[in-house]
Amino acid sequence: MNQLALAPQLDRRQFLVTTGVVAGGMALALSPADAASAMAPPPAPWGPDAAQGFEFTPWIEIAADDSVTVRVPNPESGNGTMTQMAMNVAEELGCAWKNIRVEIASIHRNYAENRVYTKGSLPFFGGHGTDKVRMAHTMRLGASARERLKAAAAARWKVPASEITAAESMLSHTASKRSLRYGEVAAEAAKISLLAEPELKPQAEWTLIGKASPAKLSIPAIADGTAVFGIDVKLPGMVHAALKQVPVMGGRLKSFKPDAVKHMPGVRAVIAIDPAKSGKSPVKDETSFGLGNSEAQHAVAVVADHFWQAKMALEMLPVEWDLGSGTHYRDQTDIYEGMRSIRDVGESDEVLKKGDVSTATGKRIVEAEYLSPYGENAVMEPLGGTALVTSDTCEVWCATQDTMQAFWVSVDETGLAPAQVKIHGTAMGGNFGRRTQAEDIRMAVAVARQYPGVPVKTIWTREEMFRQGRYRTPISTKFRAVLDDASGLPQAVSGDLCFAGDRKLFQLTQGYADPPYFNSGAIPHVKLTTINFPVHVLNGAYRGPCFNSNAFITETFIDECAHAAGIDPVEYRLALLAKWEKPWSDVLKLAAEKAGWGQKLPRGEGMGIAITNWPMATIPHFGSTMATVARVAVSKDGVLAVKRIDIAFDCGKVANADAVRAQIEGGTLFGLNMTLNEEVTIRNGAIVEGNYDEYPMLRMGDSLPEIHIHFEALSGHDRFDLMGELPVGPVGPAVGNAIYSATGKRLRATPFRKQDLSWT
Amino acid sequence: MEDDTVETVSFTVNGLPQRVEAYSSTPLLWVLRDHLEMTGTKYGCGIAQCGACTVHVNGEAVRSCQLPLSGLAGADVTTIEGLASHGGATLQRLWAEMNVPQCGYCQAGMLMAAADLLKKTPKPSDPEIDAVMTNICRCGTYPRIRAAIKRAAGVAA
Ligand code: FES
Ligand code: FES
Repeated sequence: MNQLALAPQLDRRQFLVTTGVVAGGMALALSPADAASAMAPPPAPWGPDAAQGFEFTPWIEIAADDSVTVRVPNPESGNGTMTQMAMNVAEELGCAWKNIRVEIASIHRNYAENRVYTKGSLPFFGGHGTDKVRMAHTMRLGASARERLKAAAAARWKVPASEITAAESMLSHTASKRSLRYGEVAAEAAKISLLAEPELKPQAEWTLIGKASPAKLSIPAIADGTAVFGIDVKLPGMVHAALKQVPVMGGRLKSFKPDAVKHMPGVRAVIAIDPAKSGKSPVKDETSFGLGNSEAQHAVAVVADHFWQAKMALEMLPVEWDLGSGTHYRDQTDIYEGMRSIRDVGESDEVLKKGDVSTATGKRIVEAEYLSPYGENAVMEPLGGTALVTSDTCEVWCATQDTMQAFWVSVDETGLAPAQVKIHGTAMGGNFGRRTQAEDIRMAVAVARQYPGVPVKTIWTREEMFRQGRYRTPISTKFRAVLDDASGLPQAVSGDLCFAGDRKLFQLTQGYADPPYFNSGAIPHVKLTTINFPVHVLNGAYRGPCFNSNAFITETFIDECAHAAGIDPVEYRLALLAKWEKPWSDVLKLAAEKAGWGQKLPRGEGMGIAITNWPMATIPHFGSTMATVARVAVSKDGVLAVKRIDIAFDCGKVANADAVRAQIEGGTLFGLNMTLNEEVTIRNGAIVEGNYDEYPMLRMGDSLPEIHIHFEALSGHDRFDLMGELPVGPVGPAVGNAIYSATGKRLRATPFRKQDLSWT
Repeated sequence: MEDDTVETVSFTVNGLPQRVEAYSSTPLLWVLRDHLEMTGTKYGCGIAQCGACTVHVNGEAVRSCQLPLSGLAGADVTTIEGLASHGGATLQRLWAEMNVPQCGYCQAGMLMAAADLLKKTPKPSDPEIDAVMTNICRCGTYPRIRAAIKRAAGVAA
């Protein structure tokens, strides 16, 4: 193939030049205003694979024009993680905020330079971006760079560094009335080593963290269309691939007829992917969660000059599949039935035991079964990636939640030595867990391996995304409580939970086994079990994995207990939280008070409450705790309107209040959509839903609730805990509990849209 | 679609004349992204559901995934790359100031839809916003989009 002649390694500068040339060529006939925007080459969002410029550390480069580039291993997914890392650096560096830029750190470089980006900062997800370890690490980098700038200025001026102040990108010596910009001494400063690293300033002296709420640094490029998402990567000579994986998971490709489409315009290759041909990493991988959930699927792909050509040819391609044993599931109810029966008869694991549930003696029993279905992350940007594979190199441009995972998956798929592999992280059109395992990147590399020497961009269609998800793990739980005759609180709770799916990594008990109700001694006898129903449909990470289901189930069940006891649901929860840390009660009370809890509402209207913590409720002063109150109106014929949501929370302290607010707004709407609308269904083992017309999403016209977010319950405990997953948990049970109080109908499964809410 | 023909069509994008040869069924979305290498316009669903691909054609907001090359002859197309010089600069500035986008993938389409709304309805009411802003945002930025549109229009939040 003559495309082998192409330069195998395209560097970042080449990327910039290439796109610049394209834009420049077009600019000839442009009006001046258009020319200005067309001329600006899109900035590559990824950092360099080797040292460049005046680097203080691979994390921080300061240029002569004062611009400060912070290289962050955690790609931006929309929650502001890169901006937060830059804030941490800037807090100590003392640079003007307008001078700050961010880039996604090169994991190739991380590998080559002794894990310089991953020590002190796990490279996955965004949500942990404000945690203590990363915060301290990035602040130390900023402080060190600041002291080196001072030392460089001190050397120039021949004064002690201690007499120099650094702020707003300026170094000043008051006594001699001299000043220098950071950029003027960056070259010298970058060469200085300090004898001792500086102490971090006390929190009381912070000016940015907790004080300012800068908008995300990613936004200007998003707003003018120049942001480079994974799907937007452009490389010289690049071709496009459309992919179809076996429609029933676990099946195989039987046969296909490439000749039927080879002649179609633009088509270059028709290929089959066989997972057995995946390579193997020659060394032990350094991923956070292993490569076990990233395996390739049997598939066919068409490579063409343009994506539309590839997609059209793929649709015409005659393919025969051996669909495998998954087809015996006629629909999803077969799976739900299987979950119920294995839960009732199978051998389960005990995940929590307190006292002895058999000794409880109360007369009132609350017993119910709950179900959460499959769901698809439905990220807006399709999966895929661009890969250039040669016999001894592999270079990938992709949107990933975990650059380290993407790197090792590419190493593993090609079998190349890690030093031969490069990953360039791009802007990311949503993740919600879907981009954690990088199996989409494995598929892109698998395609490109068969069309070597040319950059191949593989794009999943929306249909491919819906039908080849790594779905929210379905959960079926049976709960039973024996209420104390005197107090009405549970004396004993037993729970039996069944997960569907084989992937243990996505079988989590958060929200089930960790609530303080069960762990603080409030309920003396507790016995909780889990079991797993193996099924061919692949489960994966979906925003707040399993927690999003468990929160619904547990908080609905507790509500049922409160009503059975005849006690107000807020009072009931407060009684159950009496032995637990005070912030939980504070959060609960504030949300209730702000919502106007207890007011008399007409029939058909109601309020419901729920409280949860992510990622681990059992540890005091850990993670984030949130209470959500929903106010709903249900018409007699069953039309639901969620009118208002009130939210109180405790994550210790807040680093960027507006970023936290944005996460709570977005996460609450995500959780609302999950609860009202989302279920992926099955027919003969395959996924039915293929696009948004079959998988409704809330839109602006769907009379969305007013969302009121209250900060006054923040405990001030010295942590800045995460807020990405948590809001998805409490909103669903709050709405369900509100529907109960409005109508007397108890909803024990989602999505609500498939249930009859009418009342008389 | 094997009988789909390849044709050459001329039109303008952000004021610049363009000539594209491709399958006549090729949607404007892919003409922009692949043939003209203007990737600001996004693919989200391909079936007129999500609005990520929204552009202006002859002054109207349309879903570019639904408009085939064959229907483009002589059309005047504005994309997110040209929005600033076509009346969208205020919206773009407010998008940044008000921290509207999260992941940002839907936002080119949102901005194009919002610019079209304000051009036709300079002081939109909530129902007027709801009627036009039908795009999907998985990140849940709807409250901020509404607030930014209202601020751009100078109407009370
Ligand atoms: S891609 Fe056109 S509406 Fe979704
Ligand atoms: S900002 Fe992510 S989809 Fe809208």
